[in-house]
Parts: sequence; structure tokens; C-alpha cells
Amino acid sequence: MNSPSAPPPIERVLFTAEQIDTRIREVAARISSDFEGRELKLVAVLKGSVFFLTALARHITVPLRVDFLGISHFTNQPGAPGVVRIAKDLDDAIEDEHVLLVEDIVDTGFTTRYLLQNLAGRGPASLGICTLLDRTSRRIARIPINYSCFEIPDRFVVGFGLDHKQLYRNLDCIAVIRPD
Amino acid sequence: MAIISVSGDPGCAHEDLARAVAQRAGFELLTCRRLEESIAADFGSQEIPERAWPPLLRSAIARSAVNRHVVYSLEGGERLFHGFPNVLNVLLIAPPRRRIGAVMVDRQLDREAARRFLRESEIDAVAERKRRFGRGHSRLHEFDLILNDDQHTPETLAVIVEAAMASRGLLDQGMLSAAAEAQVQFQARLQLAKFGLTPPDRAAGERNGFSHPSEEIFARLLDFYRIEWQYEPRSFPLQWDKDGHVIEAFTPDFFLPAFDLYVELTTMKQALVTRKNRKIRLLRSIYPHVNIQVFYQKDIQDLIVKYELAERASTH
Repeated sequence: MNSPSAPPPIERVLFTAEQIDTRIREVAARISSDFEGRELKLVAVLKGSVFFLTALARHITVPLRVDFLGISHFTNQPGAPGVVRIAKDLDDAIEDEHVLLVEDIVDTGFTTRYLLQNLAGRGPASLGICTLLDRTSRRIARIPINYSCFEIPDRFVVGFGLDHKQLYRNLDCIAVIRPD
Repeated sequence: MAIISVSGDPGCAHEDLARAVAQRAGFELLTCRRLEESIAADFGSQEIPERAWPPLLRSAIARSAVNRHVVYSLEGGERLFHGFPNVLNVLLIAPPRRRIGAVMVDRQLDREAARRFLRESEIDAVAERKRRFGRGHSRLHEFDLILNDDQHTPETLAVIVEAAMASRGLLDQGMLSAAAEAQVQFQARLQLAKFGLTPPDRAAGERNGFSHPSEEIFARLLDFYRIEWQYEPRSFPLQWDKDGHVIEAFTPDFFLPAFDLYVELTTMKQALVTRKNRKIRLLRSIYPHVNIQVFYQKDIQDLIVKYELAERASTH
């Protein structure tokens, strides 16, 4: 593992801060148009999606609320939780609300599918997905993605909320790293 | 032996609950699909009368219960072992709002379409139940435990089921003895004879060992997300000799029924996967309707890095 002072082992920058900003504005404009005249609730999944949520929310023009979910993570360690569960639930109900689940990345789709199933059971008026990154090459669970900023190749990426061992979330770009 | 039956109306997460119970208690999980496939494998294309299903299912479940405690998820399943000791019948209920939500996600439907789909599913379930078990609706007094899915996750509900199992002392009993299993099979044979069916003697539903650590990790990942999987359930012939004998076949590692998808894991280095890629191309051309997803070494490594797994999968 790198020492805290070592530079991130970036192989190449996939999307610059400017590219990310431009694309998020475009997606936010589409969302604003699609939800015109309605209120929206953005639900972000801790922790990675928070960076994307704040950037996206600033450019959405319809009234919106935000809420956060945390889920347990898979680990191969003995004694770890056997099945996925909500570790931090929403603060408020979403019944009859238009909900957009905000994800940093949709990969296999396992996590997103679980969250969709969980949220759909709470009776929202509508439920959609907005993701910063979409890695379709590894998709297993077929899930409808309503808004996607970037499709990415089959590489390990960090930055703009995405981490490697909890580091590099604060990079303003999205970069490919070579994990040690 | 302990046998746990989990039922629920369409749109309820009764299979998820059965899976969570199986995982928590270390039981063998028998889903409706798995039982039906096991029976189909035993009887091939032979037509099975609807009323033959109860003894067939009883026979298949009893064969598994010789080796392991069993949890199964089946519409009408509470009728199968009625009157048997060491059986816990669980019913999962949920308000329409939650069940409609589940259908919206699973079927990718809007709320109104999901409501219609659920209604039709309920009518179909009642009809199938009536054809197979002679009764369209369950009787609540036949259940030991009725749980409401509304405010709970399958994992928390599984804790309640486990407590009910403990209070009944289900785990204090051994597996189904050979003599008791023989008695169950004898009764099943008697009933099936009326339909001209003979159950096989071999054990069914046994879980295979994995041939590589990465497969075991992947299976655990699927379990974690409550995704039903089957390990190497089918081989696809790829080449035949002039006499029609299969000389080359391909067996994907996993089948995920919920997505109708086969998954092949390969931990070989990219340069060495040419032969496997050729097989997969061949499979796709001969069986275009078969969906297969390949996870290469770097995909698996990414999963290992992403989930910070301590045990790194070695290469082969």
C-alpha cells in the first residue's frame, strides 16, 4: 500500500475535471427537463456517490431533497455479515415521491439491484437510476439505467468519490490506477 | 432432520427469506426452480400429471434431507410434510405496496403494469396450487410462523425463523434416517405408481465442490446479494464425431436463473485464454439463445481489490 504522502499510482486520466463538469451539467439538464413541474428526491449511496450527488444537485433546477443510504459490504472474512443489508437507512419515507438513486458506478449491478428492490418496496411514485460511471462489460444483473454520465472500460478507476482502499476519493478527475 | 418450508404470495421475498435461513443455519436450499429442474432431469420429457407433483416433491426433498437439513421455498409447500415431526412451516406476507414494488423492479414495469402483473400472477398461483394440491388457498392454521415482510429484511426475518427452530428443538434431531427416508420414498412410490411414474434412487440436490477458490468467492458474493445460483448445471456439446458422439463440450461455471445467464470465470492469464475464448465463441454460435458472461482474470482481481478480500485467488 502507498504511504499517505506518496502520489496516487495513476496510470492515466480517463476523464478530466472539466469533462466531468460538462457531462454532469448535461445530465442535470436532462433530469431537470424530465422532472419539470415535479419535486425530486435524490438518494445517494454512501460513501462514493456523495461527490457525484453534490455536483449533480447543484445543476438540477427542479426542487429537490437529498437523502442517504449505507449498505453492508461483502467481505470474505469469517464472521462478516452473510447477506447484504441496509447499514444506514434513509432518514425519511419516500412513499409517493419521485426518487432518483444516485450511484457512483454500476458494475455487476448486484448492489444497485438490491437497492432498487429495497426502495421499490417503499412505494415511490417513480424510481430511476442516475450513475456517474457505467461499466457494462461486467454487468450481470439487468437493471434499467435512466441517466449515465460515462461508460467506462474494464479497468479499475478512482477519483470523484471512487476509492481504492478508501483513498483517492478526493481526486477531481477519474483515473485508471494500477492496484498494488 | 429439520425441514423448513417457506411460502408466500407472488411478489413476496419468500425465496430471499429461504436463502437467508439456509445461509444462516447452514441448511440445503431447495428453490422451486431447483426442485422442478431436478424432477425434470429425473423424468426427462415424460409428462408429469399435476396431481403427481406433491409425492414427487416429497420424494426429491426427502432424498436431500438424508444428508442435510433442508429449507425449501415452494407455493403450497406447507402441505408436503403435513403431520411430520421436525417440520416448520413459515408463511411470508407483505402489503400490496411492497409486493408491487418488487414486481416493478424484477420485471422492469411501471406501477400500474406491475399491479396488473401481480394480479395475474396471483390468479395463476391459485390455479396452479389448486391443480397440484387440490386447494387454491393456504390455510393459515397450517403454518407455524407467519411473518410480515414490510418492515424487515430477509436477514432479520431469518433470525426469527432460527429462533423458532431452536424453540422447537429442530436441530437437536439428526438427519432423516435411512429407514425413515425409505418409508417416505415407499409412500411416494405408492402414490406415483397411480400415475405410472417411478422415482429414481440416486440422491439429488447435492452441492458440488468448487474446482477453484475464485469460484467459491464468487458463489459467496452471489449469496451475499441473495442471488440464486447453480454450479456447473449443464454441459454444452460443441463438436461431434462422424458417429454423433460428443468430442468437445463446454461447462460454464455458474448459471444464474434470475438473469437466465451463465457465468464463466477464468483466472488464467489473458494470453492463455485463447482456447477458452474459442470454445465460448463456438458456444455462442451453436446456442445463440444462451446468455453467457465471461469474467477474466483482471475482472476477478478487480473484485478482489474492490471487496478487499483477504484470500487472493491463485491463478491456474
